[in-house]
Order: sequence, then C-alpha cells, then structure tokens
Amino acid sequence: MALEFRLPDIGEGVAEGEVVQWLVKEGDSVREDQPLVEVMTDKATVEIPSPAAGTVKRIHAEPGKVIPVGAVLVEIELAAGAAAPKIASHGGAPAAPAAAKPAPAAAVAASSGGEVPTPYRRPPGQRAAATPFTRRLAREKGLDIEAVPGTGPAGRVTDDDVLRFAASGGRPAAAAPPTAAARAPSAPSPIPASAAPPSAPASGEDEVIPIRGLRKRIYERMALSKSHAAHFSYVDDVDVTELVQVREAAKERARLRGARLTFLPFILKAVVAGFRQFPTLNATVDEAAGAYTVRKSFNFGIAVDTGAGLIVPVVKGVDRRPLVDLALEIERVATDARTGKSRLDDLQGGTFTITNAGNIGGLFATPIINFPEVAILGVHKIQKAPRVVGDRIAVRDVMYLSISIDHRINDGATGARFMNAVKALLEDPKLILAGEI
Amino acid sequence: MPRRAKPPAKEEEAPDLGLLRVLRDDGTADRALDPGLPPERRVALYRQMLFLRLFDRKMLGLQRQGRIAFYGASIGQEAAVVGSAACAEPGDWIFPALREGGAALLRGMPLRAFLGQLYGNSADECLGHQQPMHFSWRAGNHVSLSSPIGTQVPQAVGAAMAARIRGDRTVVLGYCGDGATSEGDFHCGMNFAAVFGAPVVLICQNNGWAISVPVSQQTASRTLAVKARAYGMPGVRVDGNDLLAVYAATSEAVGRARSGGGSTFLELVTYRRLGHSSSDDPGRYRDEAEVRKWERKDPLPRFRRHLEKRRLWDERREKRAAEEIGGEIAAAIREAEAAPPPPLESLVEHAFAEVPARLRAQLEEVRHLFQEGGRAEGAFPL
Amino acid sequence: MAVMTVLQAVNDALHHAMGADDSVVVLGEDIAELGGVFRATDGLLKKYGPERVMNTPLAESGIIGTAIGMALYGMKPVPEIQFLDFIYPAFDQIVSEAAKMRYRSGGQFTCPMTIRTPYGGGIRGGHYHSQSSESYFIHTPGLKVVVPSTPADTKGLLLTSIHDPDPVLFLEPKAIYRSVKGEVPEGDHRVPFGVAATARAGDDAVVLCWGAMVHTALKAAALAAEQGWSVQVLDLRTLVPLDEEAVLEAARRTGRVVILHEAPRTNGFGGELAAVVAERAFEHLRAPILRVTGFDTPFPYALEHIYMPDARRTFQAIERVMTF
Repeated sequence: MALEFRLPDIGEGVAEGEVVQWLVKEGDSVREDQPLVEVMTDKATVEIPSPAAGTVKRIHAEPGKVIPVGAVLVEIELAAGAAAPKIASHGGAPAAPAAAKPAPAAAVAASSGGEVPTPYRRPPGQRAAATPFTRRLAREKGLDIEAVPGTGPAGRVTDDDVLRFAASGGRPAAAAPPTAAARAPSAPSPIPASAAPPSAPASGEDEVIPIRGLRKRIYERMALSKSHAAHFSYVDDVDVTELVQVREAAKERARLRGARLTFLPFILKAVVAGFRQFPTLNATVDEAAGAYTVRKSFNFGIAVDTGAGLIVPVVKGVDRRPLVDLALEIERVATDARTGKSRLDDLQGGTFTITNAGNIGGLFATPIINFPEVAILGVHKIQKAPRVVGDRIAVRDVMYLSISIDHRINDGATGARFMNAVKALLEDPKLILAGEI
Repeated sequence: MPRRAKPPAKEEEAPDLGLLRVLRDDGTADRALDPGLPPERRVALYRQMLFLRLFDRKMLGLQRQGRIAFYGASIGQEAAVVGSAACAEPGDWIFPALREGGAALLRGMPLRAFLGQLYGNSADECLGHQQPMHFSWRAGNHVSLSSPIGTQVPQAVGAAMAARIRGDRTVVLGYCGDGATSEGDFHCGMNFAAVFGAPVVLICQNNGWAISVPVSQQTASRTLAVKARAYGMPGVRVDGNDLLAVYAATSEAVGRARSGGGSTFLELVTYRRLGHSSSDDPGRYRDEAEVRKWERKDPLPRFRRHLEKRRLWDERREKRAAEEIGGEIAAAIREAEAAPPPPLESLVEHAFAEVPARLRAQLEEVRHLFQEGGRAEGAFPL
Repeated sequence: MAVMTVLQAVNDALHHAMGADDSVVVLGEDIAELGGVFRATDGLLKKYGPERVMNTPLAESGIIGTAIGMALYGMKPVPEIQFLDFIYPAFDQIVSEAAKMRYRSGGQFTCPMTIRTPYGGGIRGGHYHSQSSESYFIHTPGLKVVVPSTPADTKGLLLTSIHDPDPVLFLEPKAIYRSVKGEVPEGDHRVPFGVAATARAGDDAVVLCWGAMVHTALKAAALAAEQGWSVQVLDLRTLVPLDEEAVLEAARRTGRVVILHEAPRTNGFGGELAAVVAERAFEHLRAPILRVTGFDTPFPYALEHIYMPDARRTFQAIERVMTF
C-alpha cells in the first residue's frame, strides 16, 4: 500500500516550501525516521524524516519546486507490516467547506424559505410581530400594523402583507381565489402574474416598490426560465362538449365523497396518457450535466394564486390516483398553498406544471416554463362557441389549451403530437373513464 | 548532604559567581563534592538522560513529519533536567518552563498521556485544549507550562507559601530560563520567595539563548545567580551539564527548603543545542563554532565516561538500553496516535466548573456542522 | 506595484518608514539579527543599525514602558509584542500610561507609539498563540486599534499608524501572513483611519468583519451567491476609529446585518456594532442582527477548526437573516 506523504506545516503558519534536495531517490528503501528531503521555508531549512519504513515509489516535487503545505512530496510503498502513521493534520491548504445549503424549493416557494408557515390570521389579542422595516412601511402607509393580517412565519406581518392591505383599501385580502362563474376548470390561478399592484397614491407621486420576498423569487425564477429555455408555444382548441356532460354526471357522486370534481382531474389524466406516448415532455433538464432526465413519475404542479403571489404545489403520482382521489388531492394542495400551510414535500419534485387563468379570461396564452421542467400547459376557460360538426354549425363547449415547450429538448412535432393525444382523450372522455390511462 | 568545599578564597569562587563542578573531564568525580549516590542510582539517572535524548529526537522527527504540531526539545540539557528533578519527592510540586517536560516523565507521568497531549487527542487529560508541551499532571503536582514567560515563578512561590502555612513538608521546584529573568514576574517571585521564606527552589536553566537573544543582551549582571543576593536569598551557579553537580546543588537547596531554611536560586549553566523550536533558524544569529564547542560538553557522554570509569556501563549496555527505550517509545506512539480526537463536548468543558447555559447554546448552534469530535484536515478552513 | 504577502508588506512598510524618518525606531524580542520570529523586521538591523533596531530583554512591560518614554521624548517607536497573547504584562503601561498620556496632560505630552503584534488563530497555537483580544483595547479610550486584511492595507495602515500622533495597536492577522498575496503600491502608501472598505459589494445583506475573517466572509458570500443572494463584505479596517457611517449605510441599505469575529462572543466588538446598528438603523432592519464568533472559552488547540468561525457557519447566519 502506498502512502502519500504531504508537506506538513513545519513552522508556525508556514504556507509553502521549496524543495532543496532529495536525500533519497526513487527505488531506495527507507527506514522510519530516515531523512528524506531538505525543504526551505522562509523561516528555516529543515530536514524531513520518513514517517514509515518502505520504498520510495515516486517523488512528486523536484528540487527548486515550491509547493504549498499539504501538497504531496513523495509516495512511499510501505514495507510489509509497516503501519501507515496517522498523519492527522497537514496544515496549510484548508479543506473546502461543504456549504450548508438550504432546502431547495422545486418551484417558486413562499418567501419564508421552507419554514412551516402558520395560519393566515393572528389569534385575537396577539400583537403583531413584524420587523422594524415592516413597521415603518405600515406607518408610512398610514396603517395600524395591529390591523394587518400576517402571512409570515408564526403569523408575522410581512412587507407584502402591508402592501396588500394598503392596496385593498385597508381591508384584508380575500382568502380564497375567486370561484368559477361558468363551467370553467376551477383550479383557479392566473398565468404567472404579479401580486395585486398597489393602488396609485392619491397625490399622483411615483411610488417605488422594492422587489422582495415572494415577488423577488418570482422575479428571479421567471427571468431564469426565460433566459435559459428556448420557449415556443403551441395552441389548440378542444371540443369538450362530451367532457362537460361526463363531469356533470360525475360531479354529484364525487360530492358524496367530499370532493369537488372540476375539469382538472380529467385534463391531468389526459396529460399522463400523452406523456406515455411522448415521455420526453415529462422531463427535467440539467444544464450543468448537459443532460435531461425523462421522469418516470407523474408529479404535476398546479399553479395557485395565493394572496401573496404565485405558488406551485405539486400533486404527486397523478397516474396512480383515481379521478375522485385526484380531485381531493388537488384541492388539498391548493388549499394548503393558499392558507400558507404547504409542506415542503408538496412544493418539491414536480415533473410538469399546469396553469390556469380560465376564470379570469383570455383565449390562450404563452405560459413560462417552470424551470428546470421542459414544458408547461395552460388551460383556459370553457365557453360555448360555434363549431363545424359534420356539415353543420353547432354550439359546442370549447376550451383552448396552450403549451409552452423548451425547444432545446423537444421539437415542435413532438409537442404537436402530444397535444393531439391529449386533445383526443379530452374530446372522447369515455377513453379516460375506460381506464385507458 | 554533600560535604562543602573550603570557603572560597577569591570572590570569583563565591557560589553565585563561580561554577560548581563535580565531574572532571576524565570522568572522575571530586570526592568532596560528590553527592554520594549509590551505583544503581547513578546508572538509573544516566538511563533517564538517555531516555530523554532519544525521546526528544523521536518527537522532533514526528514534528517534521507533521504528526505533532510543536515540540520543545531539551537536547543538550538533560543533566539539568534529570539532576534537579531527581531531588523531588513524590509529593513535591513542579512549576516547569518549556524544557522540563522530561521531569514529569521521569517522575512517573504515563507516556500515553504525555503523547496524547502532544497529539491533542482523547488520550490527553487536558482534552486537547492546549498546544503541545502544555500538559498538566495532577498526580505529580506538575503544573502546566504557560507560554507567557515567567508567570510560573510567583506561582511556584505562592504554592510553597501555602505549603508552609499548612505545615506540609512539600518543597516546590520552580523552573525558568535565562530570558525569564528579565520579566517583571521573576523579580516579584524572587522577592516574595525571600521575604516569606518560602520552601521553594527556583531553578534557572541558563542555556545561553532566549530564541535569538543571548544572555549578554538579557542582562548586564555578571551572572544570573548573583541576582539572588539582591533579594537576600542564596544563589548557586552550577555546571548544568554535570549531572552530579546539578544533583548536589539541587539536593542541598531542597534540604534547606524542607528544613525551614527558605528559598534558593540555582543557575544551571547549560546550552541550547538546537534552535528555539522547529521554526527557528539559529544560523541566522549565532555561530556554529559555539555549538560545536558545547557539543564537546554534552552531558550524556560526560556522565557515561564517569559510569564506565566505575565499570557501571559499557557499549553493550548502551546498545541494549537504546533498543529498549526505542521500543518503549515506538509502542507508546502507536498507542497514543491511534486514540480518537477529543469529543465535541470538550470544547466547552472546564471553562468554568459548570458549563454555562449561554456557552452550551453556542455549541448547539454549530453542532450539526461538525461530526462528533471530528478533526478537519489541515488548518482551520477559511 | 509589487505583489507581496501580508508579512512582506509589514516589512516593506517598516523599511520605508525607517528610511524616510530617523525618529522611527523598532524594539522588541528577537527583532534584530533574527529579524523577528515571523521575519517581519528582516533586514532592518543591517540597514539602520543597533541604535534604531533594538533587541530587548524578555520583558513586555519593559518594551512598552521604554517605548512610551521614547515617544514622550519625541521619537516614533514601533515596539513589537511577539504575540498578542503576551501583551498582558504591558497592559498596565498601555492602559494606564500610553492611552492617558495626552488626556492627563491636556495635550502637553503625547505618545505617538505603534505597537505591532501578530494576533488571531489558525496556526494551531492553542491558548497562547491565537488570541484575538482586541476588545480590551477598543474599550480603552485614547488607543487606536487597527487591523488590516490585505497586503496593500497592511502597508498603508501601518504607515498611517506610525505617523499617527496617538498610540496605535496594530494587529497583524498571522493566519494570513503568508497565504494572502496582493499588489502593494510602492513608496509612501497610506490608508486613512476611519474608512472601511467594501471587499465585496452586495445589497441583500452585509457581513461586518476585519482581519483574517474578511477572507472567511468572502467565501461565505460566494456560497450565498450560489443561492442567489448578494452579500456585501465590509472590512472595517480600523476598529478605533470606527467608520460608523459605512456600517450604517450598509445596514440601512440591506436591512440584514451579520457580524463576524474570531474573538469570544461575550463582550466582543460585535456587541458594540450591533448596538450601533440597532440604535441608528433600527427602522431598516428586516432581520435580527446576528453574530458569528469564537466561543466563550479559552482558545482551544485540538478543536481550533470548530472554534474559529468558518465559511459554513458564516453562511448559516447569512441564510438566517435572508430567510427570516
């Protein structure tokens, strides 16, 4: 066994030494403590003896060479039975510290960085907790901080809480996002949008809003995604008339199980089917490694607009959950996200993301991919529209789907074929129910 | 008790201006001054010096190999260490400076604990708290060396004062170097010792150099021993490389202290053969010729000559002793080196008798960053 | 410009100061023929002779006491204390005499002395070769306390110290004596007191630090950058006089302050800095002011790497203020 003998720190704080001359050569056998080499530091020239008996295998530093403390001087092939001495410390070159990295959020997470958030509202009688900066902000807006509900850790009032409270005219922001008016898919969330902008000050002066907290996260992540992924969008419309009827029929039975059956579970199932045919769209990219990972699990992030901003909790194992269970799980993760109760596990591990602005409006959109995923599906409102059926014009229920795809990973044809597959299932939902998936 | 020579005829032969020698160059001993040790004791003392010499060499090698970070050798000063420490009884106290580590080993400190302290691992009773050589050995009443120079002198005197108050027969040996005689603490210690009649022997190993400063720059006094006069205590200047002279002078001083006669100051004239430590380069400030001159006065061959003259030693016994000592040291190194690093807890233990809550909290803040008792490679990671 | 280590910059500054002004003298243990145990005074004896480059007997109180006398007489002595850990016999002279000389005499007698001493851990020196005890001296009105972290600042601050009319304690971070190299301006390079330096710019948080810890803070800031956080590293350079405005500006701009020092936590300078920030930047704080420090124990030998704040511990504090 070969021992790598490194230049020790032979005098208080010496950082390097110059090899003056070797007293042995490669191939020589050496005793323990036999002088090996003379090394000069800027304090003194010292003779370094061998830490063990053996044979000089390879000299690593020639005379004249300056090497740092900790660099290998010589390799010694230990003699049979010779113990390798425990040279615990070599001084000099420090070991690179392993960073204690915070738990990475797979998606845009709440600004508290992974701590377990707490209830939206403070218990009555409890005084507001807030940093000095937040208190000043409240004071400048003419608000009593005790009146501002807190969404930070332990109900702490954050800057965003203050801004939102001020924007809503001093009333607390709505706890739940708006419910669908018509038969719109009701996993409500706009396509990644900013938090409600503060109202314009009455005096007409410009207002500077520092980009902080959750907004800052969104700011950075959107820029990251757009600057890395080569976004292209593909849009199609889907005739969901039959799906509407299927859902209507199933809705009541789902309600008996305590579930609110929206269109989203059906869409998710159709997407799974599409991924089985086109698995490279259910993937995550690793730029540093120059590779992308085709994911075997189906963990779909559902974009949720909370009062504080966009959060994307993940529904895990979409393929494994029957429709109603899927509906229950979607509701759970969305509610937790809105009330600030999401567990870290609910915010990580996504393979694909669905975003929805159907309840607000719009025909289709060009959503921004949830980096490092490779695609994102936008789901839009269902509305009555004229379509050609056979040879006649009929009034049908129509829904637009828009998908943004990272063209570095998948080409247009793949995206188009995928969308066709999804569309086919959504237009003929019997196939979903038949357990096609 | 050695028989005293005739009173000195000239001032230069006063005990604090002369140089007490027992061994002649040919290895015979002055019968008048010989402390009268039995033959087996002489052999044992020689073997102790040999042990120290071989041990020091081995430790310096370990330091060169980066296995221990620091070592203070006594090469060339073995007679001063052995001859004086041999006069201490088991219950006596020792306050050492840097080059009296050997005194603890000779008085029975376990080699494993000594080495453990050099390695700073769990074999160290001080839990790796201090730099090598700064060991404490309670069983032998051996107080840790301290890096600030001279601080031990008043402490040695104080311990002796306590012994006297208690009525114990304890004597304290307080060591220092020539450099320490310039420190304020030396002055205070000497003064208190004499004023209180403390049962302490203050022993200065004058090895000629305080790092790069020779004794001639340390003091304008003729000798170091003569300073004792100013404090009103006896001073004796001794050939520190003559084991019998060191023993004789120390034993007389110890006897004086133990019988209530107060303190004595001994100047043991010896020589620091190597640099101050491994980072020192003595060639920068002193002449090699001086070193060679003192090599000829090496205490080991001098005493060996004496033993051989009395047929108590020979080459065969030397070889065997060296082998035995070498084996003992190697075995102890293997054992001590294998001990694990001190546990994380040791960082906060013994700052106070109880670990304060604030300090414990400081440790808990970082516990997860470090493996239990882990010793990182290299210097502290920036 | 030449590239030098911190140690070489000390030597360069001393050569320059002694060459330019013959009232500058150096004294201390082993500083003459040996050139100092770290070689900081190398070459001075040869050039300027034993009257100006004096080996002293082994007595810190004597070194400082006599240096004070020289300063009173009109010289500019630069005494060396071999390790900060050995300064305590001279504590009386420093605190009772040097620090109070101007005040007690109404300015009639002054003490333009610069005490140079290596400080800080990182060389496996245990209790007595590792201390960072600047607090005792910061707490003594009348003393200036200066700590460089780069070779250029070492030269510049040392020259400013030598020419300062008041007593200065110049702390040289021995851990980086040889491992930090940098460009050093030639000639009479001065760095003013009371001006902190931004070693790294950033807007999300600031780390207040000095000496060897500046380099630790830079490593921690790099770790923070991987998380997308931009952290300023403010090198205080002179602890007395403190650049309070720079500290407050950074505190107000970022709202997140981490203080880093080797010295033990209790009554370390970090407490004073935290009080200043809390007092005058209170409304800008977005997180508690955190201190990353040595432990409240004597400086340990074997567990030095745990005692000394490192990049990970510093990053941990940054993470706390960033995610508060």
